[in-house]
Amino acid sequence: MKKIYLAAAVLGSMMLSASAYAVDSTGCGLGSMAWKGERGIGPQVLAATTNTSFGSQTFGITFGTSGCDPDGRVSGGTGRMVLAFLENNMEQFAMDAAAGHGETIDTLAGILNVDSEKLGEQTKIHFASIFYDENADATSVTLSMIDLAHEIA
Amino acid sequence: MSYIYSFFRSVFFILFIFLSFVRPLNAQEKIWNEWLALVHYQKTLFGGYESTIDTPNFFLSMNGKYNPQDEFEATIALFQSNDYKKQCLFPARYRFLKKYQLIEASFPSCKEYEQFYHDLRPNGITLLFTDANMNNPSSLFGHTMIRIDTARKGTQLLGHGVTYGAFMGENPGPLYPLLGLFGGYYGGFTVKPYYEVVNTYNNIENRDVWEVNLDFTREELDFFIAHTWEVGQAQSRYFFLTRNCSYLLLENLDAVRPSLQLAKKFPVQVIPLDTMKAVQNIPEISKGINYRPSRQSKIRHRYKMMNDIQKKAYLQAIKTHDYHIKGMNEEEKADVLETAYQYVQYQYVAGNTELQEYRKESFALLKERNKLKEKGKIGDPEQAEVPMLAHDSMRAVLNTGVRNGKDFKQFSLRPAYHSWTDDNYGLGQGAEINFLETTIRNYDNELVLQNFDVLAIRSIAPVDQMFAPVSFQILWNIVRDYNPQTDKEGYVTSVKTGGGAALRLNDNIIAYSFVNGVLGYGGFIQDNNVYGAIGGEVGALASYENWRLWLKAEKIYASVKWKSQMLYYVEGAYSLSRNWALSASYKYEQNYGHDVEENMFGIRYYF
Repeated sequence: MKKIYLAAAVLGSMMLSASAYAVDSTGCGLGSMAWKGERGIGPQVLAATTNTSFGSQTFGITFGTSGCDPDGRVSGGTGRMVLAFLENNMEQFAMDAAAGHGETIDTLAGILNVDSEKLGEQTKIHFASIFYDENADATSVTLSMIDLAHEIA
Repeated sequence: MSYIYSFFRSVFFILFIFLSFVRPLNAQEKIWNEWLALVHYQKTLFGGYESTIDTPNFFLSMNGKYNPQDEFEATIALFQSNDYKKQCLFPARYRFLKKYQLIEASFPSCKEYEQFYHDLRPNGITLLFTDANMNNPSSLFGHTMIRIDTARKGTQLLGHGVTYGAFMGENPGPLYPLLGLFGGYYGGFTVKPYYEVVNTYNNIENRDVWEVNLDFTREELDFFIAHTWEVGQAQSRYFFLTRNCSYLLLENLDAVRPSLQLAKKFPVQVIPLDTMKAVQNIPEISKGINYRPSRQSKIRHRYKMMNDIQKKAYLQAIKTHDYHIKGMNEEEKADVLETAYQYVQYQYVAGNTELQEYRKESFALLKERNKLKEKGKIGDPEQAEVPMLAHDSMRAVLNTGVRNGKDFKQFSLRPAYHSWTDDNYGLGQGAEINFLETTIRNYDNELVLQNFDVLAIRSIAPVDQMFAPVSFQILWNIVRDYNPQTDKEGYVTSVKTGGGAALRLNDNIIAYSFVNGVLGYGGFIQDNNVYGAIGGEVGALASYENWRLWLKAEKIYASVKWKSQMLYYVEGAYSLSRNWALSASYKYEQNYGHDVEENMFGIRYYF
């Protein structure tokens, strides 16, 4: 029976590996989360099929960051939590910021301890400076959001 | 003094346990069962015990994996000692002993554990299921996790997901899937922010997530956190089919409330969806369900809800990459832009867009959306068919039929999972995955093995203006084949693979076509015991309320003449309830020599 599941997994992966593509470094801006830590579709699908993962066990839970802020521009527990959240949610946050509402705004408002509606409003107004261009990265967006929260509070 | 006191207490406790084997004492039995669940002990075939956990650091006594009594005494001893560092690793065992006043000591100050608890700010437990989307092989069976809900301000995205999986190290060899199946790796728990979980499943793998809130008391919640900490460094041999992600989570829930006895319900195979059903079938524990749609589900829903003008503008925009939408009000425009944005993200994740191009497009959409004052009207879908309410996985079918004038009765048994003409509710139209279906047929007084389907995967996913999935089938079976030239029957093992495309004709009907390749093997085949074949197949699936219908026509060109044939097939089923259905089928084979005509009528039961 196990062999059968394996056969399914292998066949499945063969079909998908045709569309596998090289993963390049995407930095910390839009699109950075797409394949964070993954090694292409083929291996990823196989790993998910058998619920296995690369690497070794990491039990430490953190809202820690993964290297988008090598110079330590973001400080403090709250700031680092905002950065960790944005690193993982840049794509969704960008749209919520442009629209002025959404789940990521609600979440950030919680971390920054400010009113969610106000934060959404202000984020929308200042969208063009928060996302100054298409390559805006998580660290600069984090710093902008912290400033914005200070102004609201 | 306190040592002697505790010593007598534990001696009494153990005595009670021994006595309970002779004459069950309810209270003691209850305590003992809690202890067994807490250390993940399961009864072995020979009447002993064995813990599912393998790593030695989880046990305090030499033979702790196999000896609950030794382990119990060692745990008492630990909390009478000064080894605070080690005590900090077992907060759940401490709570257990303290609850029954089996120890006196207080729990030491444990910085790391306190930090862990503080980071989580636990506020509830939610069981998570990511669906089994069969056009996506990585999700064939679904996956379960637990979310530790948070009391933090904001949303549950700041909660944490607890998941159990195998670890393969940095450089797994090419055999790693095999090892994952046969216990070649160790599995362990990972805890990570829920937003990472959502990102992985909803946004990267495009799988819906179902959140089932569990009704635990505050005390049970804290016990769960303590136990999660305890098993956090522990590992067990990982078996994809039995001791897998879902099984270990069940043991964790049992540890918190042993009366649930969830793990015992799954002595052999553990299909994640089945474990969800088991939890949902305990009304006092499941509080409510929340649906978190995948990106693809969001896009499909939003597109479906658009008016015709929006639809046209949206399709035009994603085709031309020009996002200056005209001819509608702000609300409608917001819907179009937000949906197009999700589509651009989807294409990037799928690997169809380069990074710079993707960023340019995303940014253009964001700027357009930012110009609008109004909110869109169409939100994300709030509901979908609940997979936990789908028919059960095992199936038994009793058929009566006629083959070229000869009457027969037939019985089939299938351990898992879903066929095209089974009730699609919660599992989707066009997805089929079957394992080890065995069919026995009886003519007058001749009993034969008619069919053994090792594996059958069929997935047809309609191509539309947004998505172009591949449809495919993989069928591997041992079948009682018929040679029309000799008019004899015999066994052939065959593997058939096919690829093609499907098109949705309306809400009810999907049409498809496959190009197939077949390889057959068996002593029954003359000339080298092997044949090869290629062929084509066109068909359609229809689904109305309680009805499903499957029609197909298939042409086969084979290297042996008798296997070349033209095949027509119709199969229909009518559901009487979730787990009962009636079925009928008709088959006509045009062969060299004798044609075959066969019809069947049957009843299906799912359990």
